[in-house]
This record gives sequence, structure tokens and C-alpha cells, in this order.
Amino acid sequence: MSDEMQEILNDFLTESNEMLEVLDQRFVTLESDPNNTDLLNEIFRAMHSMKGSAGFLGFNNLVDVAHRGENILNKLRQGEMAVNPAIISLILETIDVIKAIMADIRESGADSHVATAAIAAKLDDILNGKTIAAAPAPMEAVAPKVEAAATPVVAPQTLGEILVNDGLASKEQVLDALTAQQHQAEPKTPLGEILLQAKAITERALDQALHKQEKQPKPAEEDATIRVETKRLDSVMNLVGELVLGRNRLIKIGTQLEQQHESDPQVRVLSETLAQLNLVTTDLQLAVMKTRMLPIKKVFAKLPRMVRDLSQKLNKQVHLEMRGEETELDKSVADEIGDPLVHLVRNAIDHGIETPAERQAKGKAGEGQLTIAASQEGNSIVIRINDDGRGIQVEKIKEKALSKGLISEAELATMEHREVLNLIFLPGFSTAEKVTDVSGRGVGMDVVRTNIRKINGSVDLESEPGKGSQIIIKLPLTIAIIQALMVEVERSIFAIPLSTVIEAVRISRSEIKTINGREVLHLRDRVLPLIRLAQEFDIPTDSDRERFYVVVAALGDRRVGVVVDELRSQEEVVIKSIWDYLETVKGVSGATITGEGKVVLILDTSELVQNAQAWHNPGVAA
Amino acid sequence: MSATEQHVQSHIQGVADNPADRLVEKSADDLLQFVICLIGSEEFAVDVLSVQEINRIVEVTRVPKTPPYVEGVINLRGRIIPVLDLRKLFGLTGAQQTTQTRIVVVSVQARLVGLIVDSVEEVLRVPKSAIEPPPSVGTMAGAEFTQGVGRIDDRLLILVDLSRLLLAREAA
Repeated sequence: MSDEMQEILNDFLTESNEMLEVLDQRFVTLESDPNNTDLLNEIFRAMHSMKGSAGFLGFNNLVDVAHRGENILNKLRQGEMAVNPAIISLILETIDVIKAIMADIRESGADSHVATAAIAAKLDDILNGKTIAAAPAPMEAVAPKVEAAATPVVAPQTLGEILVNDGLASKEQVLDALTAQQHQAEPKTPLGEILLQAKAITERALDQALHKQEKQPKPAEEDATIRVETKRLDSVMNLVGELVLGRNRLIKIGTQLEQQHESDPQVRVLSETLAQLNLVTTDLQLAVMKTRMLPIKKVFAKLPRMVRDLSQKLNKQVHLEMRGEETELDKSVADEIGDPLVHLVRNAIDHGIETPAERQAKGKAGEGQLTIAASQEGNSIVIRINDDGRGIQVEKIKEKALSKGLISEAELATMEHREVLNLIFLPGFSTAEKVTDVSGRGVGMDVVRTNIRKINGSVDLESEPGKGSQIIIKLPLTIAIIQALMVEVERSIFAIPLSTVIEAVRISRSEIKTINGREVLHLRDRVLPLIRLAQEFDIPTDSDRERFYVVVAALGDRRVGVVVDELRSQEEVVIKSIWDYLETVKGVSGATITGEGKVVLILDTSELVQNAQAWHNPGVAA
Repeated sequence: MSATEQHVQSHIQGVADNPADRLVEKSADDLLQFVICLIGSEEFAVDVLSVQEINRIVEVTRVPKTPPYVEGVINLRGRIIPVLDLRKLFGLTGAQQTTQTRIVVVSVQARLVGLIVDSVEEVLRVPKSAIEPPPSVGTMAGAEFTQGVGRIDDRLLILVDLSRLLLAREAA
């Protein structure tokens, strides 16, 4: 296949895949809003244009399936057939076949390996009116047409047209002005100004008309976007990361030079140049980050279909509500969050939401509510998954954790309600009494947490038995570059993510108190558990230091003070992974390279906070 | 090709002129090339195809809560890679770093790992016939990471099994 042909094919595949993704969602919406002609038209057009492209590329198998699907859609559109779940299911099935064909095309370049006879026959049956459960009611058939006629598509009006239509100027005046404008040399005076000068209209009338014009839907701008391979963006992002490191290094050298050769004019010029470079780098970094942002809608897109299929399979009724779909997040974060999200939603439907009968017996509505809401809170993206199902029984979790030997009785005794709930994230824990093919085999929740932690996010669970559960996922805006506070402990340097730092205070040794053998600090009216990094990381200490710094770090409402020797600086660091080989080291989330070219470990604040909590529960082994 | 790689390459070519080497030279298929590193008094051989570069010792950042043989991590031109001290891994007593100390960067299962050795001696061609399975009684240093021994004249080369180095963390 020639390069050119391959390129056309790639474009076709990318476009079709996007279309299919949208279609899934549209169909599910259509099911709940069967009379929405706009939606039907949109679906029809998408299917039609895909069929067209496929025909052009000679994928006859695909054309065949798409054509039959299109026939049905056409009948639905014309009102000759009514939308019902059976039809929707069949069309969704058709889409699955089309997806399989697409995958086939991508792999083999041909569309002949997927069996289509079965689906074609089913589609024909429906088309001939054989298996439609609900016969189309004539009333329903008429309604859509009326609706369609009521909202004609309006072409955007020009300023002249608006003025004439609104009676603000006569047709002749506008024509005169347009002629005058045509005779002008570039740059031409805007039409409104010519009319004003000719005293044909008042300034107020012009404002009014301009305002009206602005509010019109603008025709879609062509070529406003270009498609770029993610790999290319990734490499740009990596390069920017290296540039940031290089800049940090240069600035450090510049500062040193400045101190040594204060009076040298060349050093001053260097400093100025560095300042400029600094600015540009920061802007570049922001700009590149923005190119990688995409709305979370992309991640949410597959959920409606999944919820629909799953609830049908499990004989449950679930109403899915998605909010904050326009929230933007980094592509790399979006890529990582898809699977955990799918898993959590599955769990919510499988284990959380009850069957309609069970729900009604409890006095709830038969239809379960599942809400997925995304929002940006400060420097993080928060996704909340709420269900109003049966909730999680803390006793069950305790039993399970004990029987699996994940935790000791003594440890359990000291745990708070919320901590017990979060035990489900431990490896080897599964609350399902029997393994179903829906929610997997108990490897799920710890994988969910691992995946989320991998991108510096956190996941938390809240639940009320009988009322439902809420899962809160916190994600960083981007995973590549963060602000960090550099601290020093016994000549080793560590980076603490600034997003988790509340404040840093200087204390003397006598201010550190002990409660139950654990070190704490009275900070204003709070008792702050302390962690000594030197102890935490087994760094040998030899100094009898009198003064310390305490970095107050927070995770949710939990706080902990990290005791360090010195505060060094605030730096922008590029997170690099080191765990290929070393696996997860407790308390460390990654590493970065400093201005001096040294490797510095980045602390995992969430883990430190959790450790400190366990630590400060008397009776639990530290 | 980076400067270090070129270095290794020229080293390989240089070795071909070594008379001792010519003795064992047969067809290319039957020859394996190894980077010979010295740890204590033992000669360890690492497959030349796995070696990406050989560097002088640089500052290593310690990583807490790792086994003692994990020296830490280093910055390899913007990449952060772990560094293992072969001496400790093979259970030999620690020696001071000298000007001869090197970090041999090897690629194991598509991952880069640095290995600290006392010194790097040469690149040697070894005929396949000179390689024997490791002795069953493991009294030799680093026996568990050995995939065989090579006998060249009166030299005994210990062939390092790199993939087992990665498994070491599980045993540790």
C-alpha cells in the first residue's frame, strides 16, 4: 500500500473511531429521548458519511453493514419506525460489529475477516418489521417532523441584512455603502462606519445591529485545528521538561556568577538574558501543557454505553448522570484514569446498586442513581463517583480483612471508620461474595489505587450502609512537572510536592513533645504528629541539632509535620520515574534532577501522612 | 552512536589484534564477546551486546529502604537509572572506590541498570566451546548470578546472568 493510501486509511480510521465513540453515547441518550429528531439526524449523518468513506476505500463488507444500519436509522428518522430498546440494542450491536471491522482493517488492511451475515440478517428482519416488539404508534411518527420544522437552520446574517431586516437602514443605503466600500483601496473602512459617516444610521442602531450579529452562531471555522500524533506531543513535553531542568541549572550558575563577579557588566547582561529565558521557558511550558489538555468528556464517553449494557445484563435500573464533562486534564492523566474509572463504575453497579425489587423493598426508587462529577479544585482534578446503592458494611470489611490475614485484630481495633473502608484498596481484598465476570476477581481495587497513585493521584472511599458510597479521586493537572519544596536532611536533599505543603515553621528541639512515645508538635491549637525523615529513611544522624524546620503537609483533612534540617529552595521539578527496577519504595513517589544535575527523590506525601496516622494510633506496631 | 559506545567499539576492534585472541578466533558465529570486569580478584564477563556504556563513578543518590546492594540512582544524561554494587550483591566485602571504579551501564529486558565494578579490563572474544555450565557447588562469588564459566588459557571468567540480577530484588 502506498504511503498516500496509508495516510488516507489512517485518517479514515481515526475519524471513524471518533464517530463511533460519539455514536455510542448518542444512542444511549436517544433511548431516553426517542423523539429527538436532531439526535437521529446526527446519528444518521455520521453513519452515512462513514459508509461513504468506506465505500470510497473499497471496504464493501463495512459498507454493507453500515448501509443496513443506515436504512433503519432512516426509517426512524422519517418516523416510519419508533425507537425502542430492542432497536437500540440491535443498532448498538451493529456498531460493535463495525468496531470489529475497523479493528480488522487496522490490523490487516482488509475488512473481510469479520462475520457479518448474522447481524445483516437481524437488521433485515427489523427492517421488514418482523421482530419489533413495540409497533410504531402513529402519533409518535408524526411528532418528530413537526419539531424538525420548528427549528430551521438559520444561515448567519451579514451586518447589512440585519440592518435592513430590523428596519434600521433602507436597502438602498446599505447597497450604496457596500458599493462605496468596494471602490475603496485597502484597508477598507468597515460597513458600519461608512453608514455612520453617510448619516444613514445612528450610532446606537449600529451598536444594536453589531451586537445582534455577534450573538449569531458562527459558521464552523475550517482548519482551525490540526491532528497531531500524541507521540509527537509527548516528545515535545519531554523536551520542555529537559529545557526546564536546563534552565534551572543555568539560573543556579548565573546566581553564583553574580555573587562572585558583581561588578562585571557581562555577568549583568547574562543575568538579564537568563531572566528572559526563564520567562519564555515558563510560558512555553504552559503553552505545551495546554496543547495536551483535553476535556474529561473523552474519558467519560465510554461510560454511558457501559452502564447501559451492564445494568441490562444484571437486571438493574441505573440512571447515569455525568457532570463537569468539560473539565480539562492532561492527556497523560486522561489516559491513565480511563481504566480505573471503568472499574469503579462497574463496581458501583455490580456491588453498589441493588436490583429494582430490592430497592423498592427498602423504600428507594427502583432506578439507581449513579453520578460521576468532575471538577477542578485548585491544582487538582477531582472526580466523584456517587451511587445510592447498598453502601459498604464496615463489619463485612473487617471480617474479610481479618480472614485474609491482611490486618491484625489489634490494628483493626484502633482504626477509624474511614480507615477501615479504605482497606478494600489492599492487594488481595475483594468484597464480592462470589466472583462475577463483571467486577473481576478481587484484583481490582488495589490495581485501581496503584494506577491512580502512579500518576500522583489519590483515591478515597466514603460509604453509608443502605444509602450508598462515594469514591473520590484526586488527580494532578499534569503529571510531568510540579512545584516542589527542596528540603535537606543530613546533607541529603528531598523534594516535597508543594501542592501538599500548608506551611513551614522553624522550631527548636524543646518544642517537640512526646505523647505515647510519639513525637508531636503543638502548632497553634492543633497537635501535629511529627515524622522525622532521617528516621523514616534510616539516614544516620550525627548532629545534635537544636533548630529544625517542620514542613506541615496535608492530605485531605489529615496533617502531618515533616521534620527536616533545612529548607533549601522552591523549584519546579520534572518528575521522572525510577521504579522500573526498584519497585515502590514506601514514602517516595519518584525522582527528579536538580539544577546541579543531581538526582533528588520526591516524597510521597500521601503515604507519609498515612504512615503517620497508623503510627500515632497507640497499639499499632510502627 | 555516543562517544562511550564508540569507545567500546574501538576497544572491540583493538582486541582483534591481540595475538592471544587470534588463537581462539574461529568463525564469528562461534565467538561471543564479553566485557571483562574485575571485582576483587575475580574476573566477571558481561555480554558486550548488553553493555550500553562504561562510565566513571559519579555521585549516587541513595534510595531509602532498598537492599544494601542497591547503591542508589544516578542521572544518566537526563534519565534516572538504578545502580547496583556488584561487590555487595556477590557477597564480597566492600572496597573503597578508586580511580579505576566504573559504572557499567547494561540494558536488561529493555531497562537500563548501572553496575559498579572495581575496574573494567578489556573486551574479550570467547569461543562458545570454552564456555561451561556453572559448577554445581556454589562456592564461587556470585554463584547464583552465574550462567556459566569461560576458560581461556589459565583464566577463569564468570559469565554474569543479567536477567537474574533483576530478579535479585525478589529474593532480597
